[in-house]
Amino acid sequence: MIDLQLNKVSKKYRIRREVDGEQSLVRKLLSIRKRREDFWALKDVSFEVERAEALGIIGHNGAGKSTILKLLSRITTPTGGEIMINGRLSALIEVGSGFHPELTGRENVYLNGSILGMRRREINQKLDSIVEFAELRQFIDTPVKRYSSGMYVRLGFSIAAHLDPDVLLLDEVLAVGDASFQRKCIERITELKKNGTTIVFISHDLRAVQQLCDRVILLKKGQIEADGDPAETIGLYQSLSGQLGGPAAGGWGREPTGEAVVTSLTFYDEHENECLEFETGKPLKAVLNYRVDQPLTDVIFEVQFYSQEGRLCSFFSSETLGGTIDVEPGEGSISFDCSSVGLGPSVYFIDTGIRHRHAPYGVDIDWRRRCLAVRIDYDRHLRDTFYMPYICHHSPPPSFVFSVPIVAKNKDDRA
Amino acid sequence: MSHARPIRIIRPISFSPFDILRGLRELWQYRDLFHTLTVHRIKVRYKQSVLGLAWAILQPLSLMLIYTVIFSVIAKVPSEGVPYSVFAYAALLPWTFFSSSLTNATQGLVSHSQLVTKVYFAREILPLTYVSAALFDFAVATTFLIALFFYYGVHLSVYALYAIPIMILLTALATMFSLFLSAVQVWFRDIGVAMPLLLQLWMFATPVVYPLSAVPQRFRGWYVLNPLVGVIENFRRVVLQGVEPDYQSLAVSAIVAAILLPLTYLYFKRVEATMADVI
Repeated sequence: MIDLQLNKVSKKYRIRREVDGEQSLVRKLLSIRKRREDFWALKDVSFEVERAEALGIIGHNGAGKSTILKLLSRITTPTGGEIMINGRLSALIEVGSGFHPELTGRENVYLNGSILGMRRREINQKLDSIVEFAELRQFIDTPVKRYSSGMYVRLGFSIAAHLDPDVLLLDEVLAVGDASFQRKCIERITELKKNGTTIVFISHDLRAVQQLCDRVILLKKGQIEADGDPAETIGLYQSLSGQLGGPAAGGWGREPTGEAVVTSLTFYDEHENECLEFETGKPLKAVLNYRVDQPLTDVIFEVQFYSQEGRLCSFFSSETLGGTIDVEPGEGSISFDCSSVGLGPSVYFIDTGIRHRHAPYGVDIDWRRRCLAVRIDYDRHLRDTFYMPYICHHSPPPSFVFSVPIVAKNKDDRA
Repeated sequence: MSHARPIRIIRPISFSPFDILRGLRELWQYRDLFHTLTVHRIKVRYKQSVLGLAWAILQPLSLMLIYTVIFSVIAKVPSEGVPYSVFAYAALLPWTFFSSSLTNATQGLVSHSQLVTKVYFAREILPLTYVSAALFDFAVATTFLIALFFYYGVHLSVYALYAIPIMILLTALATMFSLFLSAVQVWFRDIGVAMPLLLQLWMFATPVVYPLSAVPQRFRGWYVLNPLVGVIENFRRVVLQGVEPDYQSLAVSAIVAAILLPLTYLYFKRVEATMADVI
């Protein structure tokens, strides 16, 4: 049974380009047509989703993920092709966008519920359950402007979770709320799925996608790049991300001064094998080889980890050795030993180089930008963004099974 | 699952008169939202305001006082044998309904851009619930007209019942302009800026503060082409003078509404499809 079918669906947007420079109003008006450019957000996309299947859609920003979501939820209309939806479709997109701050929680349940397509009678029946799920019983008659953002999100999700759709569209909604509520949301979605709801989940959160979906589609520039097993597609996506900004994009931060060069940067796993794929919580070692041509004073060696969005996430620096590092001409190496990787699963791009400690940032002896991509994989101990190394100890209640050592200790005391 | 599963096919925009039927059927499915949003509009307006519902009366009332001072005390405008204040109020009542409908409805889509880009529902509900909320205010403000009638000893005749079809016609016109202006506002924000000025001009081009009879005969042919003329003039005529409406001017309004309302709705449904891309 097919619940959702896209047949050669395309969507074209017209982008208005801003005219740069100073121009007279007349010229602006004259060029109003010319300034428009066509952009195909989706091009001939076809796929089907079976009943009770959970499909994940992943891809970079601008790959067409949210366009698919907008087309399915009828927010906008396709330029070409045909979409067939079998059953009642509900989209859970950015919960709470229909809330009015002056109205009470209860009034907002009615307002938001009916915006999402619920009948009044239906809301009457489900009100108790909605309030219960959102854990807002005491506050339901308080205007939502007095709610905390957590309460806001809980109420929003709770309404949407009670829609009982045949086909459910999910956006990044799970990224909100505290951990326990998030778990509750996942449980609710899993329950819906078990009851035969077809799910389309569009997200950047690869962990959540893998956890929830039976099948994953990878979009690239408005077209389907891969369609199949979640682990495989996610893996492909990650390796594509790696290539995208990897060695090919590497280069000089600026012209090297010629005083020294980084000859290589190599990553090793716990068994001393060369490796570019690691797991959160496992060891990692980075070895930087260099050659110095002129004597250097007070330099720093660094390895930096950047996210795909270009944010510096973490770095290794020789500054932690303390003191100043002076280097005579010749070849040497520096290694950074990390006992457990703290970064969450994703692809990270590496910058490395040698710089004078007091040099303004960017003025470097040798700097390699985005010279490698390292992939960090899932680990069963990591549920969120970061890993903090820890050791767990358990002290059970004394009167229970483990009472013997305590008795023994008491005996020792007496002795 | 126990309930019937509707099958929906989404295709690129096409233009057909059947869109009207399809649109109306969908509007019917969203009737609860229409109701909830109307109640919401009324509630929000009067929440945290001291005077609350009295504002529905205060608005036309204060206009009445201003115009009475200007056009009766100072300018001596004729008022067809009834006290000028009652004369003005009887026209300001439907006019305020019309103008506040348009003022609010024009912003109806743009001010809800957050919703429009996030959820689908029949979009016409956004501007139209402002019309229905204004209709509620109209009903409240009518009570004051009745009080004025008692005070000045004006008697209602059977012809006052004509006020009902006249109000239906006025609502149709308000609906038509609201749909059109709110949709155009999505693309050209100039509309919203121009609205107050436009409505001011429109009011003076409509027999609100003066009677239709004061308009020179030679201009009258053009004058009644304003669809609001027949409605406002006749509303006052049937409730205040207790005589038959002027069918000729009323017919002009009715014809305009009958032709343009379906076309406007078609236009609205057509642009609705891509509204979220530009809003």
